[in-house]
Amino acid sequence: MNTKTILTILGSLAATAVLAIDLPPVGSAAPDFSLPDAKGKPHSLSDYKGKYVVLEWFNPECPFVKKHYGGGNMQKLQEQYTGKGVVWLTIDSNAPGTEGNLSPEQAEKVANAWKTKQTALLLDPEGKAGRAYGAKNTPNMVIISPEGKIVYEGAIDSKATPNPGDIPSSTNYVKVALDESLSGKPVSNPTTKPYGCSVKYK
Amino acid sequence: MLLMRVTLPRKLSLGLCLLLALSAREISAQSYQGRELVKATLVADTSAIVPGKSFTVGLLLRMAPGWHTYWKFSGDAGLPTEIKWKLAPGWKADEIEWPIPLKTNDPGDIQTYGYQDEVLLMQEITPPPVIDDSVVKLAAEVNWLVCEKICIPGSANLQLELPKSTTSAAANTELFARYRRLLPQNWPGSNVATANWSRVGSALRLTVTSATIANYPSADFYPLPQGNTIVGHPKVQSRKSNEIVFRIPIESADKNLLSMQGLIVFAQRENGSDRVAWRLASPAIASAAGSAPARGTITFLFFGFLGGLILNLMPCVLPVISLKIFGFIQQAGQSRQKILRSGLAFIAGIFVWFIGLALLLIGLKAAGREITWAFQFTNAYFVLFMSVVVLVFALNLFGVFEISLPQTATRGLLGATERKGEAGSFFQGIFATILATPCTAPFLGTALGFAFSQSPAIILSMFLAIAAGMSAPYLLLCAQPAWLRFLPKPGPWMLHVKQFMGFLLLATLLFLLYVLGAQRGLEGAIWASSFLLMVSIACWMKGAFLSPTSSTRAKTIAGITMSILLLGSGVYFIGDKFNAAKIGPADSQLPGEWQAFTPERLQVELAQGHSVFVDFTAAWCLTCKFNEKSVLESAAVREAFQRHGVVKLKADWTSGDPAITKLLQQFGRPGVPLYVLYPGKSEEPIVFPELLTKSIILDKLENISPTVASQ
Repeated sequence: MNTKTILTILGSLAATAVLAIDLPPVGSAAPDFSLPDAKGKPHSLSDYKGKYVVLEWFNPECPFVKKHYGGGNMQKLQEQYTGKGVVWLTIDSNAPGTEGNLSPEQAEKVANAWKTKQTALLLDPEGKAGRAYGAKNTPNMVIISPEGKIVYEGAIDSKATPNPGDIPSSTNYVKVALDESLSGKPVSNPTTKPYGCSVKYK
Repeated sequence: MLLMRVTLPRKLSLGLCLLLALSAREISAQSYQGRELVKATLVADTSAIVPGKSFTVGLLLRMAPGWHTYWKFSGDAGLPTEIKWKLAPGWKADEIEWPIPLKTNDPGDIQTYGYQDEVLLMQEITPPPVIDDSVVKLAAEVNWLVCEKICIPGSANLQLELPKSTTSAAANTELFARYRRLLPQNWPGSNVATANWSRVGSALRLTVTSATIANYPSADFYPLPQGNTIVGHPKVQSRKSNEIVFRIPIESADKNLLSMQGLIVFAQRENGSDRVAWRLASPAIASAAGSAPARGTITFLFFGFLGGLILNLMPCVLPVISLKIFGFIQQAGQSRQKILRSGLAFIAGIFVWFIGLALLLIGLKAAGREITWAFQFTNAYFVLFMSVVVLVFALNLFGVFEISLPQTATRGLLGATERKGEAGSFFQGIFATILATPCTAPFLGTALGFAFSQSPAIILSMFLAIAAGMSAPYLLLCAQPAWLRFLPKPGPWMLHVKQFMGFLLLATLLFLLYVLGAQRGLEGAIWASSFLLMVSIACWMKGAFLSPTSSTRAKTIAGITMSILLLGSGVYFIGDKFNAAKIGPADSQLPGEWQAFTPERLQVELAQGHSVFVDFTAAWCLTCKFNEKSVLESAAVREAFQRHGVVKLKADWTSGDPAITKLLQQFGRPGVPLYVLYPGKSEEPIVFPELLTKSIILDKLENISPTVASQ
């Protein structure tokens, strides 16, 4: 067999092994970002190195987000885990002029009215952080280890409905993943399909 | 625009379900801020219900302009519409028949499947053979999500009343006919179309062959993932007149997933109203159980065999192989049986190492570890160990000291140490194979990449195939010793050849030191060399003072000195200095226009619309070095990269970076080299063969468009 034949066979074999760049997979390094909160104070992921960080994509107009805030489910999670030293960053990546995009004043208003308990509510109108993580839904949840690796990516819980009545009977994947991580165990279910509204990118 | 209302949180779930058609009725309207968004109705294709005779009921959803509801698989966002029938006992409702949906792409690479304006979701209902009532009420609770820019969940309790009768006439014929035309058809049969699935790394590949393809400019695959499977965006990978290949990325860890349900959708243009679809059910469960089709396995095993054969010619194996050839020259005049025994011992060595490696990898895989080829070379201590072995062998060949293995060219002694000669051959076999690991020969990468994703039995078979390939030439020589005549006659020249082989081994040592330098920096390489110097002195002492003729006293002193030398230098140079040596910033600088690879940098460059070439390499990978020097760093290729504005990233796997391991596996590769060109964010990456040529690279570069299409 001459070299050319070998290369042709190899080439056709190799051409089958291709990869689409979609989102950083679980286990890869979490992309850094720097976003302002409602008061204009910048928060970078790198500021929180050494701590578990939860990223939560947010849209106050989205019924799936309201499902978890309306009855206080999300606030409870935020309070519980920030109490354990976890950093919780809520990110609004919706573009100006779309549903759910928040001005700093509006962000502050929502946070007060909904009594949210996250570390910071960050504004990403350009969608930079959202795109870096391939966040397509609200809510879309990501957990980052103290070493800066993504350990969980996906849905908030197991029942993909906008109905708050389904919360008690569903498994909260974020809670499970955080509990496992905090007790030093690997996350048993590191990737799930997120559900919800689409993020309204620019 | 809706922001003022965000301050009404508690009532939101209620406040949003503004339709609130809570009482059951035939038509329900969902309105939002005074606009009617969705009108929901139940309709039947019959004027009356005949006991025992199936009929079709449809949920007709009429959406306001610009609003859409979702398909059975909604895509990246949204939810499928739900119909919960409240049927009396004895009644049966079949599954929803979903018309072929429209595919929508939104900013942020968000892909959804749904319906605009209007949709009819049909379901076959089978009444019992006996019905008491004269008028039948069919009731269902319906839930949907309707989205435009915003999403609003809707629900309704709907009811449909139909008289019982002995005969019935068709009703709503135009409506049902229109939507039945939009239903996917069953697969047309293998004489019209065939579908073949294969698994390629983290993606599925679907090849559809049919003459029908030529009639439709637009062809697509709409996935219907089951269970917890997370599917990426299917793409058309290649297309010919009667064949189309789809690539379907799988984002969840379903390693055994080998196929998926879905629709092959044809149209004159995407989302055209003439769209037709074939329903693709998953093939029989037998093939989904994780075993690859037999023919595929055999092909890959053949590649393994070829790869093993080629390994003999790889530069890192040649020094040891030359030793073996040397052995054959010595044996040229011997009895056939002796040659056979020595050859078989050598082959046994090759097999034992490969079987051992296979078992180790199977064990690691069972323990949940990621497995790769040449993984042991990512460990600096393994490389150091190899350096010591190679050096000691070289010194032995130079005649600095003797190991009582096949060290002499005289036939009489060989006869006396026949047993030892076989042991020597055996270890030569092992040694040759260990040295072969940094060389992923052509074919091997593909074959191993396949094997590592398979069952332990296939992994073992693959390693056996490689071992068979590598030992094939020796087996041949053993079986046909007559061919040894073509080798030169033994004589005093052999001593010189033997010494020359020592230099080949020293060249191998240089390479190993280079790897150590890449792993532990210049300092690490120096400390390792210092230790090697001490090892050399110990070897010299063995040759000079531990010969059979030396006195007992001399032997004792030499023995103690050697032990102190080895132990002391081992503890000091290796345990302390080498162990602490880290790679300095000066060591990790990359030449030319190359930048260090990180997954984030790749994302960033692609997001900025650049084309990116990634060179997955390692200091110990000679194939990589060869490709880099002869192709990637050649003037023509460098110039072409520059002209096309391609960003060059080097992914250095010398120390086994896990992020790079992960990516290698996504490409179905067990190790380096790997060369990938990402033409742009929205285009498929191009993977190059393990042995590069300038023309392959230049051809592909000419084909990438200068401006990257963006969605």
